[in-house]
Amino acid sequence: MADENKDKAITSKRKVGVYICYCGGNISDHVDVEKVRERIEKLPEVAAVRTNMFMCSDPGQEMIMEDLKSGAIDRVVVASCAPSLHETTFRGAISRAGRNPYIYEHANIREQVSWVHHGDKATDKATRLVSMATAKAEQLNPLEPIRVEAGKHVTVIGGGIAGLRAAKDLADRGIKVVLLEKSPFLGGQLASLDQIAPTGDKAADLVSDLAGQVLNDDSITVHTCSEVESFEGYVGNFRLGVKKQPPEMDPEKIKPPGAAGEAAGEFIPFAGVYNGDMPSVPAEFTVETGVIILATGFKSYMPSKGEYGFGEYEQVTTLPELIRSMAENKAAGNLMEFNGRKIRSMAMIHCVGSRQIPGIHPENEGGYLNEYCSRTCCSATLNVSNIIRTSHPGTRIFEFYRDIRTYGRGQEELYEEAARNQVVFLRFEDDASPEVVRNISHSGDFPLMVKVKDTLTFGEDVGAPVDLVVLVTGVEPNTISDLVEMMKLPVGTDRFLLEVHPKLRPVELPISGILLAGTCQAPMDVGEACNAAGAAAVKAAALLGRGYVELDPFVALVDLEKCGGTGECVNACLSDGALNMVDMEVDGQTVRRAQVTPALCLGCGVCVGVCPENAIEVAGWTLKQYEAMVDRIVAEEVTA
Amino acid sequence: MALLNPNFAEEMEPFTEDTALACFNCGTCTAICPLVYEHFPRKMIRYIQIGAKDRILENAQELWRCLHCGLCTLTCPREANPGEIILGLKRFVVANWRRS
Repeated sequence: MADENKDKAITSKRKVGVYICYCGGNISDHVDVEKVRERIEKLPEVAAVRTNMFMCSDPGQEMIMEDLKSGAIDRVVVASCAPSLHETTFRGAISRAGRNPYIYEHANIREQVSWVHHGDKATDKATRLVSMATAKAEQLNPLEPIRVEAGKHVTVIGGGIAGLRAAKDLADRGIKVVLLEKSPFLGGQLASLDQIAPTGDKAADLVSDLAGQVLNDDSITVHTCSEVESFEGYVGNFRLGVKKQPPEMDPEKIKPPGAAGEAAGEFIPFAGVYNGDMPSVPAEFTVETGVIILATGFKSYMPSKGEYGFGEYEQVTTLPELIRSMAENKAAGNLMEFNGRKIRSMAMIHCVGSRQIPGIHPENEGGYLNEYCSRTCCSATLNVSNIIRTSHPGTRIFEFYRDIRTYGRGQEELYEEAARNQVVFLRFEDDASPEVVRNISHSGDFPLMVKVKDTLTFGEDVGAPVDLVVLVTGVEPNTISDLVEMMKLPVGTDRFLLEVHPKLRPVELPISGILLAGTCQAPMDVGEACNAAGAAAVKAAALLGRGYVELDPFVALVDLEKCGGTGECVNACLSDGALNMVDMEVDGQTVRRAQVTPALCLGCGVCVGVCPENAIEVAGWTLKQYEAMVDRIVAEEVTA
Repeated sequence: MALLNPNFAEEMEPFTEDTALACFNCGTCTAICPLVYEHFPRKMIRYIQIGAKDRILENAQELWRCLHCGLCTLTCPREANPGEIILGLKRFVVANWRRS
């Protein structure tokens, strides 16, 4: 009881300043802002109420700062747009006035009021929301951000082009990097390509160049054949358990490196750069790191058996297989050869495994559809067609497409070039995919026939007799369910990793200190993957630049006088390690009590709900503050 | 079902410079054509692209509606020269015509 009286004595002296925004009519067209001001002025805790056309403008912010400096107010409420837009703006203004930025409460009267309600109802609701905010503001105490020491060290998971780029950029900023790659090779999926559209760069050159820089950089430690087995910690202080073991390799596809006498750092076609690091026995080690960059990449879509004749007819292949065959068999000639057969005509079928539509396309083995566009395959296909038409003019190419999407710089030119190279295009609707059948009754000795209802020929059925069918397969995210489970990573409906915001925070995850680089996030071409990797590297460098990281203080606090050590909070906690039971001395006795690790706490409040003693609270969102807000919601006099 | 015949380009060769495959089927030529007759000349150009010789001969009379005003060639974004192609098709049809 003594405590409560003391609290009351303090709060009664609080002076809340309220600042209501017109938002240039966005709010004031529907909310009678001056009426809200009149009503709020009557509240006991309120010392000043002011309105402004744009509270976020410099004059608006200065108004708040002057009231704080003059001592007219000591708590701030701004009623304006959503806090996601300007909460940090007003907290900043309070800081600049020399006060603690957490004496601030925000009332959203735009998205939650003026944009959805009109007339007196809007004014009444705005009044109620502002009065709730002032009631809470009265109870607010200054808080200090949580400061966490952060080691200047980054771990990059994935040694593809994005992982290599991020590692090198960080090393150039003077940051130590560990690069983990599960295969024995650096270069990722890019290593299994040949000539990259639209510039014509050789994948081997791009990979060799960057991997060489990474391997020669003393700041970067590369571990191949290594996978993350365990994960714990928080931004600035992550701990990864890594297992390094001899790789399982398909000897048909890839020779064990070193067997053919490859030197370390050498590029092996369709595998990548071998760094000379081949463990013969499994080993485990831990990595302590400040930031983790995920560059886990993609895999190529594998058609199911029977999809466009795949696996049924030997003359049906995929674009990656064709690219590999062309790179390994560069013999000139009027006709291209594939698997020892001369190809007089061939069909390219676009959008295989991409842009799948529920109800039209069958679900894949895992019960999902790839509804997204893989973005890179149109340009890759046109590039291959142009190479074939130029080097083997006798080989005819028919491209069956839904839409041609050559969206990047220099890529539309590939489409035009393909037309000049006399590639024939046929277009199908999404619900009328082409059919690949054995060519029996029709002319010539072509083994296969691709039949389509061709919208370019005004919906007529057209058949193309061919020697080869190439399925233009899209991209799928790599299976990283272990990492997703361990790190609790957000995954989108498309199964790619999901950023905080696609435009404003494109390489960040909600978990502070874990960043995204490249195609683990979405289909990207090489340039885009490097862009994303560069962005992630800069974000990581900025996070670690000061040697410490500041986190919001809205985390659980245990009241040790009330805590009975039931452990309910620990059982309910959603974030592993945020709450623990520890032994401590109370009145000469050893007891078990709950302890919070602030850097791991999400501030979700689940623990508050389950504690039988009301002994745990979330700072800045205490039960008392909620009670004050609820009292105001039901108070009649506020809108009277 | 029409069969794709990529070798048709060779049959056309004596009659005109074959620019049909530069066409990306936008339909500007048809929109600008003062004849306003269905899909002329776009449809004819498509028939050349896929080598649908039968369709061309079946619909040959359409070719003689063309006034050779040149608007299609002037407006073609891919410089596929549709006016010249129609002229070439007339020569092709005359050479391949059989009285029955």
